[in-house]
Amino acid sequence: MDVDITDEEYVIQRAKHAFTISPLKAKAWMITAKTLYPNNFGVQFEAYFIEKNAGHVKEAARCFSDLIGKFQQQPELLKEIEKVTTALRAESDTNDTEKQFLCEMFKHISSDVQHKLLLCTADNCEDTMEHCRLLLLLLQRFPTAISSNGPRLVDTLISAEKHSEDGHMPTNAYRKLLVGELLPLLAHDNIIVDLSPKMLFKLLNKSIEFYLCYLGLPQTSLQESEGKMDDPWKKLFAIVEFIGNQLGWEPGLINFRNNWSKEAYWQKILNYHQTNNDEKPLLFCISIFFMLCLHDYSSSLNPESSPGQIPTTFVLVEAFNDKNLPNPVAETKGKKRKSDGEYTQPHITVENPKFKTMHNNFLMCLNCWDLINSSEILQREFPKLSANLKLDTWISNFLIDYAIYKGKYEDALTGLQQIFEPMAQLSKFIRIASVLYITKNYGSSFDAISSAIPLLPSNNLRSLSSLLITGGTQRHLHYLPLSRFSVLQYLVKILLRSIWDNLEKMNYSELSIGNIFALVQLDWPQEEELIPPLIEHIKQNGSFHYPLFQNYLVNVDILEELTYLWTQGGQITLDILPHLGSQRRIGTRGADKGAKEEIKQCIKRQIARSNENLDELLENFITLERYHIKKCLV
Amino acid sequence: MSTQSDVILKQSLRKIEYPLCAKEALGRIVELICGRITSIKHMDLALDLMAEFIFYEVDRRGNKRPQIVTPLQELQLLEIMFEYFNSIPNEAARNSVFLSLFSGTTAMMRSGILSKLISIAVGVSSPVILLSASTWMQQLGCLSANSCKLAEALVHDYFYLIPNAKDRLKTLPDICPQFTANFLTAVAENYYLNSRKDKMFPPKILLEVITMWISENSSLCISAQQKQAALPPGAIAMEVTTPIAGLLRWCILAPLYNQESELYCHLHLALLNSILEIPQTVPAKAIYAQHTIVPISYVMYYVNDLKNQGLNSEQVLNDEKLQLALDRYAQAIQVALSMKAVYGHVDDLLNQLQHLPYNKLLNIVVNTHKRIK
Repeated sequence: MDVDITDEEYVIQRAKHAFTISPLKAKAWMITAKTLYPNNFGVQFEAYFIEKNAGHVKEAARCFSDLIGKFQQQPELLKEIEKVTTALRAESDTNDTEKQFLCEMFKHISSDVQHKLLLCTADNCEDTMEHCRLLLLLLQRFPTAISSNGPRLVDTLISAEKHSEDGHMPTNAYRKLLVGELLPLLAHDNIIVDLSPKMLFKLLNKSIEFYLCYLGLPQTSLQESEGKMDDPWKKLFAIVEFIGNQLGWEPGLINFRNNWSKEAYWQKILNYHQTNNDEKPLLFCISIFFMLCLHDYSSSLNPESSPGQIPTTFVLVEAFNDKNLPNPVAETKGKKRKSDGEYTQPHITVENPKFKTMHNNFLMCLNCWDLINSSEILQREFPKLSANLKLDTWISNFLIDYAIYKGKYEDALTGLQQIFEPMAQLSKFIRIASVLYITKNYGSSFDAISSAIPLLPSNNLRSLSSLLITGGTQRHLHYLPLSRFSVLQYLVKILLRSIWDNLEKMNYSELSIGNIFALVQLDWPQEEELIPPLIEHIKQNGSFHYPLFQNYLVNVDILEELTYLWTQGGQITLDILPHLGSQRRIGTRGADKGAKEEIKQCIKRQIARSNENLDELLENFITLERYHIKKCLV
Repeated sequence: MSTQSDVILKQSLRKIEYPLCAKEALGRIVELICGRITSIKHMDLALDLMAEFIFYEVDRRGNKRPQIVTPLQELQLLEIMFEYFNSIPNEAARNSVFLSLFSGTTAMMRSGILSKLISIAVGVSSPVILLSASTWMQQLGCLSANSCKLAEALVHDYFYLIPNAKDRLKTLPDICPQFTANFLTAVAENYYLNSRKDKMFPPKILLEVITMWISENSSLCISAQQKQAALPPGAIAMEVTTPIAGLLRWCILAPLYNQESELYCHLHLALLNSILEIPQTVPAKAIYAQHTIVPISYVMYYVNDLKNQGLNSEQVLNDEKLQLALDRYAQAIQVALSMKAVYGHVDDLLNQLQHLPYNKLLNIVVNTHKRIK
């Protein structure tokens, strides 16, 4: 042995040397060294390292605890402490054996020392983010430290957010810590946290903004990488509950647990509104509730599709009535608000009972909106909040449906014209066409239809709906699925009715009649009652000139009616073969046997086409015959 | 002089066949010893009943019986005693009877029964009997001949008769830690001492079991000190000796006797860890300085042997076994002193250690603690 070394070095050297021979001996040496030189950092640190390198969790933890107790300011120790806290934050990282060891070791340290360790690292940390993360880690592990350190961390995070580059983004890293992790901690039961009301409102605003971002409500940019969060509403509600509690709000308004339901909560809001005049809780609670309803409404319009199926979006449109049909089952009548005397609720149909939620969600949104607009204070305050949270664009989607529902077509049109997203163009044009049709702007409505037709989905077919027309005279709205057949069916119906309404004005032009024949084919025999009066007109007119006959009329029933007119019904001239020219009218008694034969053959040909795809036929009709259609809508 | 009632009691007991009368006698003895009024007379009667009706040592006239009990009778007696002790709920009463049955004067004579009783209690796990035995060892002294004899008997039963006792004994510290600790103190005294040349070294399995016990439970050694024994009224509680000094002696001396089993290394470490766990008390009570001095003379014998073999001082100092023994010695002393666990003449201990051959660690340790003083 070297004689010149100090006693300390000698003992450490023996311990290290023993390690290569026998861990047991080495440990005995380490214990000796530690008890001999309890105040020598080098010895104690070496002892820790030997245990750590040997993978002895408990022993290493004991050494580490001693070190933290005695030598907190030693730079080497601080480095090691940092390693521990880094490891703790990456606890799920199972690949790094050292990190795993340090996490395991941390568990064997007494909570007192754990606390000291985290606080010490946080205080020594120069990077704000690190500092906050460490303090958060501390609070997570030691709830008793929350009341003393929580408010301080809130301040730090808010000011850090303000100064960070992406501070304007509601999902910045500091906000994530603040809202996603710290606030739930503060909301822990039985913990008293001292925060000013001003701060609490600030936190509430920040939380709403944060979670709405995750819900994708304001269409701000949320990176794909942010991923999805489990039930953000539940988390937001927990924060509302916490902050509401702190501010002494009425417990009923902030209790979202135990079989919470929208209906029951709505009643609570109504009651509160009628009996209290503290507008702040009402403003926040109804706003959040409104956002929830908006979110649910929006989600229900885009229901999840079963696996392998193409998802379908629904859009609220004005649908049709037929007086002759029986009144629809008056299930919504019971719910009608009796006070609302002059205004009768439209009847809303959905394609499938399972989509009934669209309707219910819509009505809840409507309730909220009406309540907000019924109170002077809410009417003044809500827009501020909404502007703050950048909700406007999003609310506007609901407001279009709201306007349609209320029959405020000007408003609806204004709203629709402000939609510029490429994905929403089809629904935009459908609704514009719908509104313009209702307001009898048939020509403009047809322009919108023309714009919509090229946007028809090619992969989402579905079948024709039987719900577009209901009985009675009550206004009828329908949630139209954006599928190829449904949309085409709807647009064709609008167009059909536009032409029909204009028929008198057009003096029963043959072109209008022919176009109606063409359009009515798609949903045959839904509107077959339109045909007999038209046939009657042709009879009176004595002839039927329709240049598009060969291209679009393939319905057997209609062809039969026309043939009957031609053969037995009387001297009706059929001018349906453009190449024969208008000068050479073919009568039944006409001399030109050849031409007669040609018409026969033509009708035969058309009948043979009766199995053609009507959707393509009508798509072509609308697309290619704009000129002929437009003529009927002037 | 026995009173009339005593005579009637004895006569009624004599009508019952031995050893069935022992059961009845035990009941009477508890009443006599633990009754509200105890007197010398009661005590004398109880002792009489024990000698005649339990241990069958004297006849009705008080004369020593020539014949001893048959193995069958002994077995029946053991069963009666085992059942009986397990049925006394009060710990102090149980200990009182136990201490009277096996008192300082009678224990040697009755050690056969005693050791068999304890052996059964170990085998079938009777914590209450083991606790009484633990108290008994403590009151008679864990290092006393009685305790050592009991320990030896148990070692015989469990380490010589049964080949694989390890599994069976694994849980003894959980069943009765106090007894285990006192057993360790006594058993340590049975080996590595010149007074017992026939059995210098513990059997390997015993060493294994002890190492396992202490490694897994670092407070085992002091567990008898941590719980006050329930004693008969008026009895003075004796301080318990922990097994630490004795077992350290094994570890220190093992290299000098060519006992190179790794187990000693392991046991040594386990003991150091046990010392680290000793709670500080004022005054210290865990390790008696005098007990830690014992190995010194053995080391000196070893050194003399080396010198007699013709080795010079430098060769002696370079003897690896000697240095290993001294390293272990120094480590143990260091840890024990740093934990302030040593009571008695610590100065004397340090002075005596200086007489040992030079070892750097020992030198550091002694100087450190002399400086602190």
